[in-house]
Amino acid sequence: MTDRANDAIPEPAGPYPPTEAMLSEPVDPDVAEAQARRLRKAWETPKGFRYITAVNNTEVGRWYASTALVFMLLAGIMALLIRLQLAVPENDLISADRFNQLFTMHGSAMMFLFAVPMFEAISILLLPAFLGARDLPFPRLSAYGYWCFLIGGIFVLGSILFDAAPRAGWFMYPPLATEDEGPGSDIWLLGLSFIEVASIAAAVELIVGALKCRPPGMRVNVMPLYAWYVLVVGGMILFAFPPLIAGDFLFELQRSFDWPFFDPDRGGDPMLWQHLFWIFGHPEVYIIFLPSIAVAAMIVPTVARRPIVGYSWIVLSAVGTGFLSFGLWVHHMFTTGLPSISLGFFSAASEAVVIPTGIQLFAFLVTLLAGKARMTLPMLWVAGALAIFTMGGLTGVMLALAPFNFQAHDSYFVVAHLHYTLFGGMIFPIIGGIYYFFPFIQKKMLSERLGRGAFWLIFTGFNVTFLPMHLAGLWGMPRRIFVYPTGYGWDLPNLISSCGAFVIAAGFAVFVFDVFRPKRNQPQIPRNPWDGGTLEWSHDVPEENWGVRSIPYVTTRYPLWQQPKLVERMDAGRFYLPDAEEQTRETLVTSVIDARPTHITRVTGPAWITIVAAIFTGGAFILPTFHWYAPAIASGVLAIAAIIYWLWTATARPPARPAKHAGLGLTLPTYASGPDSVGWWAVWITMLGDATAFASLVFGFFFYWTVQPDFPPDGALHANAGLLALAVAGLGAGWAATLGARKLNRAARRGAAMAALAAGIAVSAIGIAAMLGAVWALEPATHVYPAILWALAVWFVAHSGVGIIMQGYCLAGILFRKVTPDYDADLWNVSLYWHFLILTVVVTGAVMGLAPGVL
Amino acid sequence: MTRPTHPPRPDEDRREFSEEAASLWRITFAPVVWAGHFVLCYGIVSLACIRGLMPIAATRAGLVAISVAALVAIGWLGWRSFRQWDTAPDRAANVGETEGRHAFLGHAAFLLSIISAIGVVFVTLPLLLIGDCR
Ligand code: HEM
Ligand SMILES: [Cu+2]
Repeated sequence: MTDRANDAIPEPAGPYPPTEAMLSEPVDPDVAEAQARRLRKAWETPKGFRYITAVNNTEVGRWYASTALVFMLLAGIMALLIRLQLAVPENDLISADRFNQLFTMHGSAMMFLFAVPMFEAISILLLPAFLGARDLPFPRLSAYGYWCFLIGGIFVLGSILFDAAPRAGWFMYPPLATEDEGPGSDIWLLGLSFIEVASIAAAVELIVGALKCRPPGMRVNVMPLYAWYVLVVGGMILFAFPPLIAGDFLFELQRSFDWPFFDPDRGGDPMLWQHLFWIFGHPEVYIIFLPSIAVAAMIVPTVARRPIVGYSWIVLSAVGTGFLSFGLWVHHMFTTGLPSISLGFFSAASEAVVIPTGIQLFAFLVTLLAGKARMTLPMLWVAGALAIFTMGGLTGVMLALAPFNFQAHDSYFVVAHLHYTLFGGMIFPIIGGIYYFFPFIQKKMLSERLGRGAFWLIFTGFNVTFLPMHLAGLWGMPRRIFVYPTGYGWDLPNLISSCGAFVIAAGFAVFVFDVFRPKRNQPQIPRNPWDGGTLEWSHDVPEENWGVRSIPYVTTRYPLWQQPKLVERMDAGRFYLPDAEEQTRETLVTSVIDARPTHITRVTGPAWITIVAAIFTGGAFILPTFHWYAPAIASGVLAIAAIIYWLWTATARPPARPAKHAGLGLTLPTYASGPDSVGWWAVWITMLGDATAFASLVFGFFFYWTVQPDFPPDGALHANAGLLALAVAGLGAGWAATLGARKLNRAARRGAAMAALAAGIAVSAIGIAAMLGAVWALEPATHVYPAILWALAVWFVAHSGVGIIMQGYCLAGILFRKVTPDYDADLWNVSLYWHFLILTVVVTGAVMGLAPGVL
Repeated sequence: MTRPTHPPRPDEDRREFSEEAASLWRITFAPVVWAGHFVLCYGIVSLACIRGLMPIAATRAGLVAISVAALVAIGWLGWRSFRQWDTAPDRAANVGETEGRHAFLGHAAFLLSIISAIGVVFVTLPLLLIGDCR
C-alpha cells in the first residue's frame, strides 16, 4: 500500500525567486504600519510575573547565558579556594574532604554547567538572528531545556553547601566513585544526566533551526559559518553525550541496586566506565572549543572588513575536527595498560586532529592579513585566545605522545595544559563574543576602557597562574592533592599561581561589573556599531521581539555588505512574512540544501507548561538521589503527563486555513507532515542520539566479552529464549500496526486505523511482559552477565513503553480529530520512532538470545 | 545546470535530495571511511591482543590491507568530488547560484577526503611500527 497523495495540503504557488522589480516596488506605509502592529502584538513578551513564561529565543537565551555565567563565577570561587589552600606548603585551611569536593565541583561545574550550556545559550540567542528567522522552530523546547538546566544546576552546585558534594573528580572513576558513601556520586550522576538531556534538547532544536529555518535563498554554501559549526557541534553532542548517559545508567544501577557493572569481584570492569566517559569526554572538549571558534569566525571578517578567506576550508576543518575528535578518547587512558598498538592508534589520531584545527586558525590569520584589520576590543580578546590556545595546543601535542604522557599523567602539567586550551579555546573567544554581540543582545555598548582593563588583567593573571603549573607538574607535583610537603621546589610556583588566580578574579570582577552595571543613561546605540556584514546587524534598535520585520531573500554570505537596500526593504516589510494576520507566531520553513520556501509553520508562544514539565522532570531525576523511589516515579509520571499535554495542545494542530500569503506573491501551505515538517526532523535527530546510547550499552556487552575469558560464565543462566522470541514478535507486530495505522488513516479509513493502533498497543504490551518474563529468573546482583542482560531488558521495556504511549496518543488524536487523513504529522513522527524502536528490539533480541550460543 | 525558476514545490526537499543527495552526504563519506577504518583497527587489535582470538602478526598484516583498501576508497571519493568542484563553470563568481553550491559541496568533500586520507595513514603507522601486543 503506498501513501495517497495529499490533496488538502496545497502546493506552494507564485513566483520564486523574487525579481529585482518585485523587490523594488514600495510598500504602502499605512499597510506596513498595520502589519507591524499585528506582528508586535503576536510576538509580545509577557509582562509582570508572567515574564517567566516567555519562550522567545531572546529571553530564554539571555536567561541561559546569565545563568551559565553565574555558575561559572561560582566554580571560579571554588578555584580561588583551591588556590588559597595550595598557596603554601602544608597548609591546613581546607580539609582533605572539602578539597576533594571543591576540585570535583569546580571541574564538573565548569564543564557541564558553564562551557556546554554557554554554547547552547549563545546559539539560542544568536542563531535565529544570523539566519534572519523569527525564532527557533521549537521555542518551548528551548525554554524547557533552560528550566531543566537551572533546576539541575542549582541542585548539583547546592550540594556543596551541605558538605554532600561529589568528590571523586570530574570523571567519577569507579571504584572510588561507586564505593563512595554519601549521596555525592548520585548527585553528580543524576543531576548531570538531567542536564545532559537538556543539552540534547538544545542540540535538536539548533540542528533543525540551521537546516530548516534559513531565509529563502540562503543555500548551504552561503550560510554564516556559525551555522556550520552549529551543525557540527550539534551532531557531536548527539554522538558524544549518549555514551555518557548509557554509562550513567549503568553506574546508577550499580549505586542503587548493586548490579556489579564496574565491580571486578563479580565480573564487572571499571575500565568500561573510563571508555564510556572518555568517548564522551574528549569530543566534549571540541564541543566546547568549536562554538567559541565559531564566534571568532563571526568577529574576524568584521574586523578585517572583508569576507572570510577560505570558507570551504573552514567548513572542512569544522567537519574534519568533528569526526577526528571521536578517535582520541584513549589518550586520557594511556596509563591503563592497553596494548601499545592500541595506544598508537589514539596517539596518531590525536596528532592528526591538529591539522584541521590549524587550518581553522590559519584561515583567520589570512583573513586578517588580507583585510584592513583594526585592533578593536572584541578582536583583542580573539587575539588573546589565539595566543593562549596555540600554547595549549603545543602541550597537547606533547601529551598525545604516549611516552611523554606516561611521565606527565595526572600531574600539574595536565592542569596547565587543560586550562590553556579551555581559556584560549573558550573563555577568551566567548568574552570577545560578548563584547562584540552585546549591542545586539542588550542594545547597549560595553565600556571600551573597562574591557581593555579586564582583558589585560585576565590575560596577565592567566599566564601568571598557569605557566608555573607546567613546571610544578614537570617537577613531579600530582594534581588533586590537598597539601604538599615543602622541599621539592614546588613552593614558589604554587605561590605564584595562587597570586595569579586573584589577578584573574580581579579581571572577571571588572568584566562582570561592566556587563551588569546599569546603562540607562547611555544614548541610543547605532544599529550596526561594528559595520558587520551578517544579518544579525539588521536588528531593531530599540528592541522589537519579532526577530525580523520581514524575512529577507538572501543570496550572499555578507548580505549587509553585498545586497544593497536589503535592510531598508526588510524594515519596510517588503520581504516574506511581513504580517501576522491571525496574530499568531509563525516562521518560514525552507528546504535543507537550497533554502527554497516550503511552508509556514506555527511557532509556540509563552506557557507555564514547560516550567511544570521541567519541575517534574527534575523530580524524577533528583528524588532518587535520596532513594525516594515512589515519589520519583510519581514525579516522572506527572512529567510525562505534562509533556503530553504540551504536545497535544500546541503542536501539529490542523490549521485554520490550508495556505497563506507569504509575501512577494508567494502562497505557502501552513501544514507539513513527514520529512517536510520540522517535527519529523526533530524526532529523527533525537532518535539518532537515542540509538547511540543503545549502541553504547551493546558495546558494554561486547566489551565484557572481549576482556573476560569466561563471559558468559560457564553454566550461567541465560535469558529464556522462547519468551525472548515472543517479546521481539510482539513489538514487531506493534511496529507493523503503527505503520499500517498511518497508511489506513491516510486512506481515510479512520476506524481501521484506530483499530490497528489499539491492536498495536495490546501486542506491544504482551511483548513487554514477555521480555520481563525472559529475564525474571536471572539475578542481576550476582554477576555482571545477568546484570547486563537486565540492563538491556530495562532499556527495551522503557522504550517499548514510550512506543505504547505514542500509539495511544495517535489513537486519541484520530478519535478527537487532532489527526485527520490530511493532517497526520503525529502519525509520521510516531512511525519514525517505531522504526528506531524496532531496530533496538531486534538488536536486543539478537544480543540476548543468540550471543550466548555463538560466543 | 540551469537555475530553476519554477515556484517551490511541496516535495522540494525530496527533489533536492535526489538531485544533490549524493553531494551533501558525500562530504561525510570520506570521514566515515576514516571512522570505520579506525573502529576496525581498534576493535580487531583488541580481539587479537586481549581476547587472544588470532595471532598479532597476521592481524597487523590484515589491518594494513584494510588500510590500503580504505585509502583506495577515499582516493576514489576524493577524485569524484574533485571533478564536481573543478568542472563547475565559473565557480568563484556565483556563490548564490546552484552552480556555486554544487562546486562548494565538491570542494568541501575533496578537502575532507584529503584530511581523511592523512588520518588513515597516521592510524596505520602504529601497525607498521609496533610489532607485538605489549
Ligand atoms: C579562575 C580561573 C581558574 C582557576 C584559578 C582554576 C584552577 C584550577 C586548579 C588549581 C585545578 C586543579 C585542582 C587539583 O587538581 O587539585 C583545576 C582543575 C580543573 N579545572 Fe580549573 N581553574 C580555572 C578556570 C577553569 C575553567 C574556565 C575551566 C573550564 C571551562 C576549568 C576546568 C577545570 C577542570 C575540568 C579541572 C579538573 C578537575 C578535576 O581534577 O576533577 N577551570 N582548576
Ligand atoms: Cu582528550
